[in-house]
Amino acid sequence: MKYYVLIVLLVFMCFGFAQKCDDVFLGELRDFHDNTPLNGATVFIKNLNKYVASDERGKFKIENLCKGELILVISHIGCETKRITFNIDGDMFQNIALEHHIEELNEVSIAATVERKETKTSQETIIKSETLKRYSNLSVGDALKEVPGVSSINTGSTIVKPMINGLHSSRVLIMNNGVRLQDQEWGIEHAPNIDVNIANQISVIKGSGALAYGGDAVGGVVVINPKRIIRLDTIYGRTLIGGQTNGRGYNITSTLNKNFSSGWFAEIQGSSKRNGDLKAPNYTLTNTGLDSKGVSARFGKLNFESGFEIYYSFLDNEIGILGASHIGSVFDLERAINSGQPFLVEDFSYEINAPKQEITHHLAKLNYYKRYKNFGRLKLQYDYQHNQRLEFDVRIGDRREIPAIDLTLQTHSILADVNLDSNLDRKINFGVIGRFQDNFANPDTGVRRLIPDYNKYDFGIYTTVEYVVNNRLIADAGLRYDFNRIDAKKFYRISRWDERGYDEDFSDIIIDETPTQYLTNPVFDYHNISASVGINYSINESQQMLLNYSLASRPPNVAELFSDGLHHSAARFELGDIRFDQEISNRISASYIYSTSKLNLSTEIFYNKIKDFIYLRPFDFISTARGPFPLWEYQQTDAEIFGIDLTINYKITDNWQFANKTAYIKGNDLGTDMAIIDIPPFNTTNQITYNNESWNNFSASLKSEWVFKQNDFPDFNFEVEDELNEEMILVDISSPPPAYHLLHFYSEATFILSEKTNLNISLGVNNLLDTAYRNYLNRLRFYADELGRNITLQLQLNY
Amino acid sequence: MKITYLNLNSMKSTKFFMSAIICLALSTSFTSCSDDDDPDPVLEEEFITNLTLTFTNTADATDSVVLFSTAPDGFEDGTSTENIVGTFSAGATYSLSLEILNEQEDPADDILNDDIIPEADEHFFAYAVNGINLTMTRDASDIAGPDGSKLGVNTTWVAGAISNGNLQIRLIHEPTTVDDSDEFGSATGGSEDFNITWTGVAIL
Repeated sequence: MKYYVLIVLLVFMCFGFAQKCDDVFLGELRDFHDNTPLNGATVFIKNLNKYVASDERGKFKIENLCKGELILVISHIGCETKRITFNIDGDMFQNIALEHHIEELNEVSIAATVERKETKTSQETIIKSETLKRYSNLSVGDALKEVPGVSSINTGSTIVKPMINGLHSSRVLIMNNGVRLQDQEWGIEHAPNIDVNIANQISVIKGSGALAYGGDAVGGVVVINPKRIIRLDTIYGRTLIGGQTNGRGYNITSTLNKNFSSGWFAEIQGSSKRNGDLKAPNYTLTNTGLDSKGVSARFGKLNFESGFEIYYSFLDNEIGILGASHIGSVFDLERAINSGQPFLVEDFSYEINAPKQEITHHLAKLNYYKRYKNFGRLKLQYDYQHNQRLEFDVRIGDRREIPAIDLTLQTHSILADVNLDSNLDRKINFGVIGRFQDNFANPDTGVRRLIPDYNKYDFGIYTTVEYVVNNRLIADAGLRYDFNRIDAKKFYRISRWDERGYDEDFSDIIIDETPTQYLTNPVFDYHNISASVGINYSINESQQMLLNYSLASRPPNVAELFSDGLHHSAARFELGDIRFDQEISNRISASYIYSTSKLNLSTEIFYNKIKDFIYLRPFDFISTARGPFPLWEYQQTDAEIFGIDLTINYKITDNWQFANKTAYIKGNDLGTDMAIIDIPPFNTTNQITYNNESWNNFSASLKSEWVFKQNDFPDFNFEVEDELNEEMILVDISSPPPAYHLLHFYSEATFILSEKTNLNISLGVNNLLDTAYRNYLNRLRFYADELGRNITLQLQLNY
Repeated sequence: MKITYLNLNSMKSTKFFMSAIICLALSTSFTSCSDDDDPDPVLEEEFITNLTLTFTNTADATDSVVLFSTAPDGFEDGTSTENIVGTFSAGATYSLSLEILNEQEDPADDILNDDIIPEADEHFFAYAVNGINLTMTRDASDIAGPDGSKLGVNTTWVAGAISNGNLQIRLIHEPTTVDDSDEFGSATGGSEDFNITWTGVAIL
């Protein structure tokens, strides 16, 4: 009986199986983003160990399926392989979406290295990680100088502020992993708070063509991105250790990444660098030490259809400022300029004393995106930044340890961005951004606030369109509107208030009064329109032309509006003006790119006309107990800046290469017919490189850097009276230093240690001939020479 | 099954992020509300409003010359004005007393005795004359300055022949080197806390 039941049951089951194994599965494969059918995809049926292919309508059919689980692995050229499980219970029809344009659309990467430009018609240059690693012991500002037309305005050699086509500070927008850096960028002596070691790729966009990032990039945009996530089950990392002779510096940075094929990823990075007093060829640059520490971490899950990322970075910089630059009066400045020697030179030390800066910057970001079929991608982002800047001056008594400037800037931003890319030939991007900023100037400094307490509200809305007209021509256009409101609380000395004539125009903003000061509450609104339009035309396979026109509007920054006080290292008073309106830039650019396997040539020309350009110029004197001080006022004028940037890379043989980078730029103040101050002089670098892949990828290069004397400069020299001897003394603050020529050497080799590990060793010598020189674009050029010879040795282990 | 799970997951994460964003946005508006208070005026320190040099005839306390320098907004960056009361008598000897005050405080802060003298090793007073027959010596009782020098707060002045000229006083902060061998004193490096010249000082 038992056997009978069992047999019947078995027979029934077999019969059941036999009977049910006739289901049909019909699949239709379509491209996720634009819904086109995918022809020729391979469908592997795991249960049956069998392959089928999709037809020209993207359809495929699997017959004789049994009930139960069906596992399909679908692959198609250029697509991400997809594994799907279905539960078969009768015939079935399924639409399956696969993405065919991951690289183009993308958060995730299949290939490890893909160069991705941010714009199509702007003058954009990418600096890759291989180049960036050479700057591990330096700053972002130093690395950006790899791009012709990009220079920097420095305060000593550690505070390096990027300058794009002669413009800097608030005119250069810096994006760090999708977040617009808000780090009190208004000041020349405020270097960007980013550790160069977090960057895997940096894009430099000249002009304001990248409207999604902001409409006020009169100079340009710097986009710093971390490594793209690779969807593989892998763990990898790199550790870099370096040392340099000049300043007895050392640096270490390490990154560890863990990725999963499911899209989850995590990355942690840390770096530390330190140097003591740097050295010019003839003397020690006392108090130029640096102590910098940074950490960053991110994790999230990135898939084609959706993903999120949480990112945090922290940077802590303590930067010594050349001791000899601390001066008390115009006479001290005049003595420094005429002696040509720093008046404070001590033995080497790692110690960092006043004057110095201590800056901490926290950045936290949270973003989420979702891609909708046949539509595009929606991205939401929130980010928060906390920037604290302490500037210590040389002070007496118990104030010695109290900073003279103590500003805390907090910024919150919310962004929603939609990218309609279902038609890859006509991508539309639009978004809105809201930002709130709160600046707090600590009164405990005992020094009148240079920048007042303020709240700032920004609201922006933008749209950009990219249109592929045909396979040779791409056009793009964009439009953006920004609203900014500054709501400040500022104390004015009554004497200054009246002298500026504010008593007539702004008496209604006074909210309180002390015996010597007014407390005012200026609230200013700015409406800004920016736009961009351009084309990218491929003349033939080796020639390309880009044309772009951009309109940018930049509201005055807080320094331009509210500055009111003595700037020590410059020995001058700086005065802002609350009457300012925004400056408006109209920039046209044209590029010609020629590239063959032997020769790469890029010529970029631009003309930037800036209406109501805000700049500082000397105006008058204030007679103080420390002698007369020049009074510099921010003014508005119409200006034009134009120039040409050239890059040539020529492969002489398989092993020898030659490269040239040249930039020429000119700036005119159309109101006064004078040149604009701080415009980089003509400079050209020529480099010859030998490399041999069979010798552990060995390469060695010799670079010649030639910077001319700037002959076009405004003469802002002035005379002060030495009352004791009753004679006039000329203070030459305008004359640029002479031209200089430097030689740099760099060599590296990479040793394969195992399948996944390699060691890159590099040796560099900067300023090979130990040439003494001064740089026109260094604000401390009055006090000391630039760095002398510096030998660096760097070991990078990739694993 | 897996698909459903994934969808759920992504819905959950969407909700999570939306709520996180809203929370953060709310907290933002709270922070913005909380600091609407008016800022306090800065109590400026290391602030000098008044410098007074009083030369008193050692033989006749009623004979004195007073040089004033005042800057109501401070020596650091305010406009200063100089005044002279009295004339030196040829051949007389004077002792100089300095007074450095911050009169924005009530009572006034004594910067000389509270700040400068306690840090005498980082300060140095240098004097200079031009066109006027004044000589000076740093007293034995003068306070020790940097590197074995005398600070220059207790000094004795001798008026020579009738003349008319300028007198300068400088306070140098953290000088690199100082030299008081000629009594008037000179320094290199450092920065000047003040540098004041009175013109038209006379010996009659």
